[in-house]
Formats: sequence, structure tokens, C-alpha cells
Amino acid sequence: MKSSNILLELQGVSKSYGTVKVLEAVDLAVRDGEFITILGPSGSGKTTILRMIGGFTQPSSGHILLDGQDIVALPINRRPFNTVFQDYALFPHMTVAANVGYGLRVRGETRAEIGRRVTEALALVQLGDLADRYPAQLSGGQRQRVALARAIICQPRLILLDEPLAALDVALRRQMQEFLKEIQRQIRTTFLFVTHDQEEAIAMADRICVMNEGRILQLGTAHDVYYRPTSEFVARFFGENNLIEGRLEDSQGEWRWIATPIGRLRCAIDGQAELATAASGRRAFAAFRPESVAAGPPAPDSNQVEGAVTQVSFGGASTSISLAVGEGGRTSLRLRWPSRAEGVSISPGQRLAAHWRPADCRLVLA
Amino acid sequence: MTDTAPIVGPGRWRDLTVATAAYVLPVIFVLLPLAAFFVYSFFSVQGVQLVREPTLLNYRRFFADEIFLPVFLRTCWLCLKVAALTVLLGYPVAYLLAALKGRKKYVLLLLLLVPLLMSYIIKIYAIRSILGGTGFLNRFLMWLGVIDEPSMLFVYNLNAVLLTLTVLLLPFAILPIFLSLERIPRRLLEASSDLGGSGWQTFQLVILPLSLPGVIAAATFVFVLALGDFLTPQMVGGQSGFTFGRIIFSQFGAAFNWPFGAALSAILAAAVMVAIVIGARFGNRAAARGGSA
Repeated sequence: MKSSNILLELQGVSKSYGTVKVLEAVDLAVRDGEFITILGPSGSGKTTILRMIGGFTQPSSGHILLDGQDIVALPINRRPFNTVFQDYALFPHMTVAANVGYGLRVRGETRAEIGRRVTEALALVQLGDLADRYPAQLSGGQRQRVALARAIICQPRLILLDEPLAALDVALRRQMQEFLKEIQRQIRTTFLFVTHDQEEAIAMADRICVMNEGRILQLGTAHDVYYRPTSEFVARFFGENNLIEGRLEDSQGEWRWIATPIGRLRCAIDGQAELATAASGRRAFAAFRPESVAAGPPAPDSNQVEGAVTQVSFGGASTSISLAVGEGGRTSLRLRWPSRAEGVSISPGQRLAAHWRPADCRLVLA
Repeated sequence: MTDTAPIVGPGRWRDLTVATAAYVLPVIFVLLPLAAFFVYSFFSVQGVQLVREPTLLNYRRFFADEIFLPVFLRTCWLCLKVAALTVLLGYPVAYLLAALKGRKKYVLLLLLLVPLLMSYIIKIYAIRSILGGTGFLNRFLMWLGVIDEPSMLFVYNLNAVLLTLTVLLLPFAILPIFLSLERIPRRLLEASSDLGGSGWQTFQLVILPLSLPGVIAAATFVFVLALGDFLTPQMVGGQSGFTFGRIIFSQFGAAFNWPFGAALSAILAAAVMVAIVIGARFGNRAAARGGSA
């Protein structure tokens, strides 16, 4: 079902407003049929990329290729993409059915054909009984689904979604995430989804493209980006992480040691040439997830530290523990363990020996 | 006394004063004179003497006499034409204004509104000199070769009233249309293009229907203002450009029949109210659909 054919390609796309650079030479290839998420904080340029693909903004330089053809000069209404806007942008003077059928109407489809396909699209988003309502009479989640139905009815090659779930409350957002994913699976259309919410990105995307300050920092599966961040920004931005700064030691096969204030730590390099060949003495971080750090007897090769518990906080599914380690306890580590009904048998002030596997300890160059 | 009493006390008094002023002032300065007029319309005149005995004679005369009703209807028709013309001319202007960006937009808007600050009479004089026999319009048409000698088609008749009222009231049409166009979110236009709509389709299916409340407000404004105007027809209407406003004016002047003038005014006021109610009706329906998304 999923092919790795390239549908859309951005080549060296830049955008600047006056002297302000919003995007700097971005390269991105979107595969046919995938759900790709562009993730970044506000101002990272993620919405600009979406607007350029949609045709609402022109790149200052670079190419946007669809099936290998440059579409930069193609006007918005001739691009085979449809957008789900952040504020939905439903036409307030039209019924749900008229909104959904708009794309077919302007293409000059017959009334019967429009009616048939609108019914189909509304059924797909489970809004069949609301066809005659006006947008003002709908809830946020319902408007969201109308916007989606309106975007998919013309069978675009690519659907662009600009933070469409930002305005919804948490429970509804979860539900809509699954819903969107399910729709994408059913209609097998490529989705390009822009968000600043990393949980949302993890929950939905086949691939995540992390952006900051107009550049793409990393592109990969959620698992990849989570466990193998290639930059300090991604390591910090994407989920909770422990980052311990230090200096690289000589390379040793599949591991590499880094000297840090909390001791020498052994890190995985996953056969990445950049990490294996980085000069000794270079500044770098050891990055490891709070849930990777365990207590108890360590395995032979594990990284180990000992410190004083400073804080224990219950957070529902997991309990977070802060550990002061290193010389004078100046470095703080975060640990996260599954919660239990009887609570964690640890209290602030207690000494604790913690360890984590080198495989869970990622080297990130500074 | 509690701590809050001194704060609540004067506050309540002030609220009461403000509320009283808000209701009393309009009553004294607007409703009472109108009511007095309405009462007058049931009196009659004998010679130069006012007879304060209630009678429906004035209203009967309006419907019975063969002058007044036709003039009234012709005036309504004229004002409808003025409203239609101002909307047709004002819409493109408002559209271009709304499409402009940044400072330019508001500077131009301000320029358009400058005539509103000028004296009404001066504006009418100016327009009359443009429309007159040796006016700019005639000379321009002669220069073009469209006509050989000055035409009196544009002055001292109903055409002149129509043209002058249209020019004078144009700002009142542009403003509400401009505001309604301004309120259309840009996103909706983007959405229309995104779904494949051409520029014309976007205008026809999104912009025009969403600006309809403004169009209706503009038409209502202009119609009501034109209906009440007597100065313009007086100054550019000549003999044939007789309107209802002029008849009322003459009742208070030459004819010296205040009660009959008051009755005619009451009828005009009723027409104005009907126009406003119809306008509000249409406007509400358009606005209800054009409500927030």
C-alpha cells in the first residue's frame, strides 16, 4: 500500500521578509501516501513551509516539485492540494453540505454528482445528519470534521493540515488524532500535518520533521527522533531528556566515552560516522531518557551514578524523581518510573544508586 | 456604615444620573418635538388662524388630492434609484479600498469622507455648476462631440436631483460596504482559492454574499437620507424636479399650512420607518448567515 515514491520535493527553499530569514535552504521530500508531521516551536518556519506548498506564499528562492515538475508558478487554485486551516475557515453563509461541496461546485460538477459525493464525504467523517446546519451551529470538533471533509472531497494528491487540533480541548484532541489517522488510512492520501505539539506528532506521524529557526534539524520516524536525536535542540525539545555536557574521549568501536561532571559515561554511536569520527576533546552531550534510568544492581557495562533524591512527584501513569548527582550534587537527573498503587518506596533525602544502559545513552554533538 | 457603603452610594447616584440623562435628553429633544408635530397634524388652519380641533382632514387630503400621492410615490421611486446607483457606484470603490494594504487604505478612506465635513449647500452649488448649461459636464460632452450645444438635460429636473443626490450620498454607501468587506476574514478567500475557486468565483460565492449586510445597510442609509432631503431638489430640481420633501417645505413656507405639513411629514416618517424595518429584516437575515464561523 505504501510506496516510497516521492510525491513532493522541496529543494533549497528559502523565504525572507526583508532582512528576516524565515526559512533557510530547506530540503524536504514527502513520500506518496505517508503521514508526515512538521514539528517545531512557533516561529520555526513550519507554517511557512505549508503555506508555500499550498501556494499562499511564494518562496524567495528554491524549487517545489510535484512529480518532478516545478509548481512554484502554479496559482493556488490549480494546485492539487487542499488545506485544513487552523481556524477551519468554513464559509459562514453556507450549510455544511455547501461547504463540503464547494470544491466540486467551482469545478463545475453536476448537482447530482456533488450531492452524491458530499453525502459520501460526510458519511466518512460521521457528520451525515448535520448536512443542513450552518457552521455557527456546530461544535469545534464538528467544524473540524467539516473542514476535513471539504478538503478530501476533491481527492487531492496531498492534504495540508495547519495545526487543526490546536483549538480543541485535550480529550477531543486525542479523539481527533485517532480519527485523522484512521481517515488517512482509509483514503490513502498523503497528509502533511503541522504542529507544535510533540505528543501529537508522535501519535500520528509516519515520519516527523523537526524544525527550528527556519531549518530542518531532523527527519525520521517518531522512534528515531525520540531515541536518536542528532542535535541538542531536538534532544531537549522532543520529550523529557537528561542532557549531561562533557568532552569526548577517543573512539572505541561501537561505544564512545564522554567525560562529564558526573563521571565517564559510555554512549552508543549506532554506527554513525559523524559520531565515530568526531575529534576527541570536542564538546558533546550524553542524552538519556528519564524512563531509561533504573535503580538496583547494575549490569556490568552500565553507566552508574549515585546521588541524593531531592524530589518525588506523582504524575499519574509515572512518578518522576529528581536526583542530585556529581560533585556537590550540582547536576540534577530526572528519573521516571511507572507508578504503583502503594507508591514509590523512595523519599527525598535518601541516597540512591542509579544506572542506565549505554544503548539508551545517546551521544549528541554540541 | 460598612466600608463599601461610601463607594456604592455615590456610584449608584451617578449611575442613576447617567441613566436619567440617557433617557431624558432624547425624550426632550427628539421624542417631544416629534410628538408635538404629530399632534399638529390633526389640527387645521383657517385663514392664518390655527384651529386646535382634532380632525383627520389633513390625512384625507393627502390620499384624496391627485397631486400628493403621485409625487410621494415618484419621490420614493427616485430615492430607490439613488440608493441603487450609490450602491452600484460605491461597491467597486469600497472593494478597491478594502483590497488596499496598510496606511494607503485609511488615507484614501479619509479623503473619501472629507466631503462629509463640507457644507451641504456648498456641495450642491458645486455640483450645480458642474451640471449646468455652461458647466463642466456640458463642455466636456461638447468637446467630445457627443452634443453640439449645451444640454439642459442635467439641470433643473429630476435627472439633476438624481445625479446630485447620488454624488452627495455616495460616501454613505461606501462606508458600510467597506466595513462589511473589511470584516470578511482573509482566510475564507484563501480557502476558496485552495478549493479551486477562481478570483471571480471567490467574489461571487464568498465575498458578495458576505458583504450583503453592508450593501443593505448602505441602501437603507441612502434611501432614508434621500427621502428626507428637500434642499437638493429645491436647488437643482427646477420646476419639474418636484419632490415630496419640497411639498412639505412649501407647507411650512409659502402655503403656511403647518398642520398639513405636519401630516405629510408624519407620512414621510412612516415611509422611512418602513424602509428601515425592511432593511433591518434583510440585513439580519444576511448577517445571521454571515455570523461567526
